[in-house]
Amino acid sequence: MSTDDESFHPLGEEWENDLEAMLDDTEYDSDLGMDMARDAMRVTKGELSEAEFHEKYHEDVMEEFGVDDRPTEEAYEELKAAEEGTFSRVLSTFEGDGEDGRRDVMKKMGAGAAFVGLGAWGTADAGEPEPNVAAQEDDDGEDGIQWGMAIDLERCDGCLSCVTACSQENDLDQGVNWMYVLDYEEPRGGADTSRNRLVRPCQHCTDAPCEKVCPTTARHTRDSDGLVLTDYDVCIGCRYCQVACPYGVNYFQWDEPDASIDEVREHAEQMGAENDHLYDERGRWTDSRAPRGVMSKCTMCPTRQDGFKGDEYVGTTACEEACPPDAIQFGNMNDPDSDPQTYIDNPSRGRALVRMDVSAPSADTLEEQLDGADDDLESVLDASEDLDEEMLRILLAIDIVTEEMGVGDSEYVEYEQNILEIFDVLESHGLDLASEDVLVPLRLADEPGEDDEFDGPSESDAQAALEAYAGSPESNFRLLEDIGTNPNIVYLGNEPGPNAQQVDGPVAYDDVGLTDNRKDVLDEKTVGDAGVSL
Amino acid sequence: MSTKTPTKEDILRPTNTFTKKYVALFGVCALVFGAFLVGWLYQLQQGLAVTGLSDWGSGGGVTWGLYIGAFIWWVGIAHGGIILSAAVRLLGMDRYMPVARLAELLTIAGLSAAGFYILVHMGRPDRMVTSVLGHYHITVNNSPLVWDVTVITAYFVLTATYLGLTLRYDISRLRDQLPSFAPEVGGKQLPDVYGLVYDAMTVGYSEKEDEIIERMVWWVALAIIIMAPLLLHGGVIPWLFAVLPNYPGWFGAIQGPQFLTIALTSAISGVILVSYAFRRAYDWDHIITDDIFRGLLLWLGFFSLLFLWLQLQQLTAGSFAPTVDHADATASKFSHPMYIVPILMVLGVLAYIFATTLRPSLFSKKRAIVAGVFVLFATLVEKTYFVISGFWYPTFSIYEGTPGEYFPSAIELMSVFGTIGMVTLIFLVVSKLVPVVELHAVEHLRGDHGHDGDHESAHDAATEPEVEA
Repeated sequence: MSTDDESFHPLGEEWENDLEAMLDDTEYDSDLGMDMARDAMRVTKGELSEAEFHEKYHEDVMEEFGVDDRPTEEAYEELKAAEEGTFSRVLSTFEGDGEDGRRDVMKKMGAGAAFVGLGAWGTADAGEPEPNVAAQEDDDGEDGIQWGMAIDLERCDGCLSCVTACSQENDLDQGVNWMYVLDYEEPRGGADTSRNRLVRPCQHCTDAPCEKVCPTTARHTRDSDGLVLTDYDVCIGCRYCQVACPYGVNYFQWDEPDASIDEVREHAEQMGAENDHLYDERGRWTDSRAPRGVMSKCTMCPTRQDGFKGDEYVGTTACEEACPPDAIQFGNMNDPDSDPQTYIDNPSRGRALVRMDVSAPSADTLEEQLDGADDDLESVLDASEDLDEEMLRILLAIDIVTEEMGVGDSEYVEYEQNILEIFDVLESHGLDLASEDVLVPLRLADEPGEDDEFDGPSESDAQAALEAYAGSPESNFRLLEDIGTNPNIVYLGNEPGPNAQQVDGPVAYDDVGLTDNRKDVLDEKTVGDAGVSL
Repeated sequence: MSTKTPTKEDILRPTNTFTKKYVALFGVCALVFGAFLVGWLYQLQQGLAVTGLSDWGSGGGVTWGLYIGAFIWWVGIAHGGIILSAAVRLLGMDRYMPVARLAELLTIAGLSAAGFYILVHMGRPDRMVTSVLGHYHITVNNSPLVWDVTVITAYFVLTATYLGLTLRYDISRLRDQLPSFAPEVGGKQLPDVYGLVYDAMTVGYSEKEDEIIERMVWWVALAIIIMAPLLLHGGVIPWLFAVLPNYPGWFGAIQGPQFLTIALTSAISGVILVSYAFRRAYDWDHIITDDIFRGLLLWLGFFSLLFLWLQLQQLTAGSFAPTVDHADATASKFSHPMYIVPILMVLGVLAYIFATTLRPSLFSKKRAIVAGVFVLFATLVEKTYFVISGFWYPTFSIYEGTPGEYFPSAIELMSVFGTIGMVTLIFLVVSKLVPVVELHAVEHLRGDHGHDGDHESAHDAATEPEVEA
């Protein structure tokens, strides 16, 4: 990366000037920022040691920001030994206690982004460029939402409830299956250890080809939450998006939709939506069925995400809500603690959690049942009708593999809180759930040797218990990932191979009042339908 | 070769005659075009459900069909016209000068038909201006469809400029012999309608501009000959398809050259048909000579060869050790009549043209016409097959509804005849208004082209037949 100009930055003078302008906009000293950035680049080239860098600016940093949480020189040397020396690492020396501290300092500095930007691509080992940290913050960031789903194909029972719910919520025409569920077989044989079923909503790709080819910007990604939507007021109906989408998720409105606009509004009112279920929070018509002559597809329910149905619906979709076996986890893919991400991290735990939520007794019932029973494990299990040994093992195993139970605002946290309530009942009854007497018989801890101390629950035993109970998926994949669309749906289960062919599922579309093949409906309006095909 | 000497009167004949046959042809074309317009209005009223199209995937159909196939076909036909004309201008292929303007008109008419198809194919054509132009500065960076609109528009403007500039020379010289029409309505004398058009077209003309115009035209021709093959039919039109990795039948680098060869075969065929029609209608045997048809046929053979050669590349690469999706797409080509028949037709044309080079007596204008019709039919069918087979064999072909069903509806089929009618109408109207054979061509054929001596060698070439009969 060489540049003709005099810039110290590998991206050139223009980039450097832009960033300098950003620094100028902050209340802090631009010259200091630029000097530090210049020297930081030297650090990355190995011309200056990090320790020297530290020394050189300590006083200035103290003067400017009133804080220099950077470690001392010795700590620096340690750090260098432990980590690759990169500018972002150097920057991280502004950290307080961990990530949040650093972000706060950065925000306080205001100049953070520009500093970091100047450091982009600066790596000491001149290997792979390190992604811009500021950009990373946007991508994986706590401030950027990217709605998406984890879909557990091995949990899906093919009941088509999600398809029906989507169709009803959005007043879709027959055959317009924004959500589509299909069974398939692999003609050349395949893994028969798992179901061959695919649940196919729009993948809301980060690099959506449909958006790229749109001649009007009607198909667009919403900045606030990464939803890929169609502006029905802008679309010209050229159908190029439908052509470019490798998944076949688009449904054109070939004629006047069955539900009139008034019916959609009426329906919105019945649903209790504050808006008309048409216009999203930006005032763009992107929700519900499309009007005639434009393209439609799964929206991931902007009316819900925008809070028009109330806060409790934010972070939910119609299909997710309707799914009896809870196979769909909708949430923010950028948040490692969201439902889909925690599910992807540990699907066995996720599955167990769902099943326990259905089968575990309520805390109140348990309390009643335990009344008068002894406080040893056996007595407790004998006394409670709904809580058996396996169930308690799974409940405890969930707790053991979970970092922080019951914290956060995702749907799963509620399930976790229910479990914690059960634990409270048991603990207050006198059962020490962390004790050897409970964990060892439940095979969640190793029995200590005679002279050894009990070393607490075993995470691997807990994980094994969960996997034995709920199973673990065959694989974890994104659909057609090699096409480079960066889809935001993660599947757990079997990935269909290139020869996979759809077969009849357990529930036929007709049986639940839906139409599978839309051509059957559209043929009725074809002028001079010859009843033959080329 | 005819012994008659071409005259100004010859090329003015279309503007100064008005025959029953003309009226009949005009009537038929207007009727067919009108019938399609009615169909289109019905489509606008009902929505695109009146077509045989559906959603690909679970929708069990194809998203694009005959409209897009015919769109590509018309752009292809439009293409050759201007390339042929530019070749006359740039490469000194003066032999084809008498058909150059017909070819240019074919470009204008063909592009009009293609542009019309874009509108016909859209769900909301009324938003063309607000939605497409309004976001042009953003979408032109990404959308191949916007590239298409851009390049087609540029191409149309260049061609119209080219035609307009060259017409100034002729109209100013033939002004007195061109028709006039100044009716009296209700005792009030209206101005000469034709005269208004001619005045507008020759505004500010002086003989001094001839040399400058000639240079300008040369540059425009250069721009066209670079843009048309590299950017239009070898570029943005195939890129609509070739850039999409999810269709093995479309994706890949060969579509540019492949589209170009198909365009050129259909374009040359179009020029053959149009030239033959005018020659027959206006006794232009001595202007549009047999030799022109022989030459055009040779070019048709050459481009047919390239067409088939590139198809062979695809068949070979698609069947030797293909990926699963590619194998399905190629297998369809080996079995589907919409592919096999057109390829055999082009192969037949190629064989015939080769035979005429070995035995010139095999040539006849009728056979040349049949060859042209064959190629035009074959390219329309092949292009339509190309479009719909993409949706039949996508990479993600898991759906039961894939390959989908499709048969063009009556309205879609009517659109092909309708646009042919429309293009014919354009010729019928324009030929009554301005000379469709350049004055230069007549001057050239008579050997009195009053330019410098540059053309001498070209002239020699033009008078000698390309193929000795």
